[in-house]
Formats: sequence, C-alpha cells, structure tokens
Amino acid sequence: MNDRYARRGMTGRRTLYSLLGVGVLSVAGFMIFQALSTSLVYFILPNEYAQDPGQYGERRIRLGGLVAPQSVVFDDRELQLTFLVTDGIREYPVRHTGAPPELFRENAGVVVEGRFVEGEVFHSDNLLIKHSEVYEAPEDGHIDIDALRESLQ
Amino acid sequence: MTTNTNVRWDRPVWMKAWAALIVALFAVGAYLGLVWSPPDVNQGNLIRIMYAHVSVAWIGFVAVGLTAFFAALYLWRGKRRDDVLAVASAEMALLFSSLTIIGGMTYSRPTLNTFWTWDAKLTLTALMVALLVGYFIVRALVDDPVRRGRVSAVVAIVVAGSLPFNYLAAEWFRTLHPSRAIALDGSGVTMAPDMLSALLFNTVVAGLVYAWFMVDRVRLGRIEAQLEDARVAQEAVPSGKRGVVRV
Repeated sequence: MNDRYARRGMTGRRTLYSLLGVGVLSVAGFMIFQALSTSLVYFILPNEYAQDPGQYGERRIRLGGLVAPQSVVFDDRELQLTFLVTDGIREYPVRHTGAPPELFRENAGVVVEGRFVEGEVFHSDNLLIKHSEVYEAPEDGHIDIDALRESLQ
Repeated sequence: MTTNTNVRWDRPVWMKAWAALIVALFAVGAYLGLVWSPPDVNQGNLIRIMYAHVSVAWIGFVAVGLTAFFAALYLWRGKRRDDVLAVASAEMALLFSSLTIIGGMTYSRPTLNTFWTWDAKLTLTALMVALLVGYFIVRALVDDPVRRGRVSAVVAIVVAGSLPFNYLAAEWFRTLHPSRAIALDGSGVTMAPDMLSALLFNTVVAGLVYAWFMVDRVRLGRIEAQLEDARVAQEAVPSGKRGVVRV
C-alpha cells in the first residue's frame, strides 16, 4: 500500500487537513447561504413592491402571492385572465395572457412573471403555481370537478 | 488474467434473487402509487408522479451523502476499496439525481405550470448533477490511481456540502418548489397516511435498487482496480522501475 500513509506523523497532518477542509467548506457554505438568501429572491410580495415601486419600475420581475377570492375573471376567447394577487397586506390586479393552469384557483399560491404597467396593473406572460406542502385525499375519494370549475368562473 | 483477481467474475445467485425481489417489490410500489393511493384534493391523480419523484430524490441524496462518506474514508486511510465504493455510489448518485430532475420536470409541468425555473432548490439540484458529472471528468483526466482518488474525493465532499442547502431550500429561500411534507426532525407530516405509506414503500424499493447496484458496481470496481494494478505493474517492468509502482 501507500507508504506515505504508513509514515508516522501522518495522523497529525490528516487531522490538520480534515479540520482545514471542514473549515473551508463551512465558510463556503455560509457564503453561499448569504448570497442565496439576499440576492436570489425568487419572487417579491405585493407589500414589498408597494414599499418602493420606483425600485422596480417596469423591469421584468416575479410577483408572488395568493389568488384573492372572487377576483378571478377569464375571457376564454381573448385568453385574458385577470385576478387580484394578495399577500394579506397589499393586493394588485394581474392581467395574464393565457389559459389558467390546472391547479389555478382562488386562494392558490401563484408566482407571475411580467412587469408592472404604470405601477398599478401587473402584466403577466407566465403564470406559475406555488402549491403548499399539504397532501390529502378528498373527503369522498373523488375530485369535485364542478366545484373546481365554479371556483374558476 | 483471472488469477490476478480474488473477486468473482460472475454475478452470484443471491444477487439474481435479490434483483427478482426488487422487480416484484417495484410492481407492488407501482400498484400502491398508481392504484391504491387516493388522489390528492388539489392535484388529483397528478399526485401519483410524486411517489416516483420524491422517493428517487431521497435516495439520490443518500447516494451523494454516502459517496462523500466513502470519499472522506479514502482521504483518511487511503484504502483502494474506499475509492471503489465512492465511485460506485457516485454513479448511482448521478443516475438518481438525473432521474430526480426528469421526474421533477414531468411532475412540475402539469402542477406548477412549468418544466423548469431557476429557483434555489432547482438550481442547487442542477448544480449537484453538474458537479457529479465533473467528478467523473476529473477521474477520467487523472491517470495515477491515488491522485485520481484524492482529487475526485474532494469533489465528492464539495457536492455533499450542498445537500443541507438543497434539502432545506424551500424553507430557507423563496422557491417555487413546495416545502417538505415530511420533516425529519419529527415536527410534522402534512401528508395523508395512505400517501405516506405509498411514498415510504417506494422509497424503500428505490433504496434496494441503489443497494443492489452498489454491490454489483463494487464487485466490478474491484475487478477493475486489480486489472489496473496488474497493468501498471506490467508496464513498469521494461523501464526498469520495478518496485517503485505504488498502487
């Protein structure tokens, strides 16, 4: 086998290298965490936008929140979907071009990609669903398609 | 050449039996996920993709963790066998994490309405696959077995360093990917019991698949290592360097 490992004093060096390795990895990990949590904000909330609309202007951003109840209108001929997105503090109207995704419904979590026009209406061209981590069976074992359809009208 | 190796060239019978058992259990797992499990109140039948995606993702994480474990062992005591174990696990880690992405995209398109988005969880997983590919590129570039083992071991440990960030990405950062429904610290399970059973069963099957390929790949890896050592020793003879070769 490798005679370098057989030499005495190797244990000390191995321990030193191990500690150095763990140290470097910890520092790198901490830096990654800092970078991800501050600069990699996947979406902003309506109240965060409201605090400083000028910061975003008409730049392309992602806006996240819940679909406000009784706010959904879908024009299936023009493929225009409008609804209010809310975080419980502020809400903004969203105009999305395209059909609602399968899991889109009132109180569903959504992330819309697009830009604010004149600081008031969010024009979206990509509507993503952010569903919760709760998985459960419907009470009667079947999906109530009618209730689902109703919630979309 | 067979005299140079002390490992079996043929696959033992018990491994064939184990493979048959896995196929049978896989069928049971598919039944549990596709038929027996109830639909989800929100996702309907799309929840069934989750059993494949999450079980494979978990075993992928285990594979990455074990790769780093064997890699660290190799750095610590320099036994060739630890390097063989690390390679075997790394191959499965690459396979399972690639399948995680493919399954995730399949699941994501009908539920989240996109195949892909660069949120923290997905980005870290893509990075993991890229680094695992890098692991094999590094191994292909270095000829000396000891150096190859050491350099690639460092790559393996770096990949494993991303595991906690990936595992907790949805809790720590804003992501599109849903948070965990099963918290390993025991703080709660937000999944119906039947769904949890189907998921855990499929995870066990995925784990058995990982273990089977590990055993088989280690068997091949040991043959590989012995053949390589024999070749290196042979090549060293004409140049008059007998006894200098360290493997």
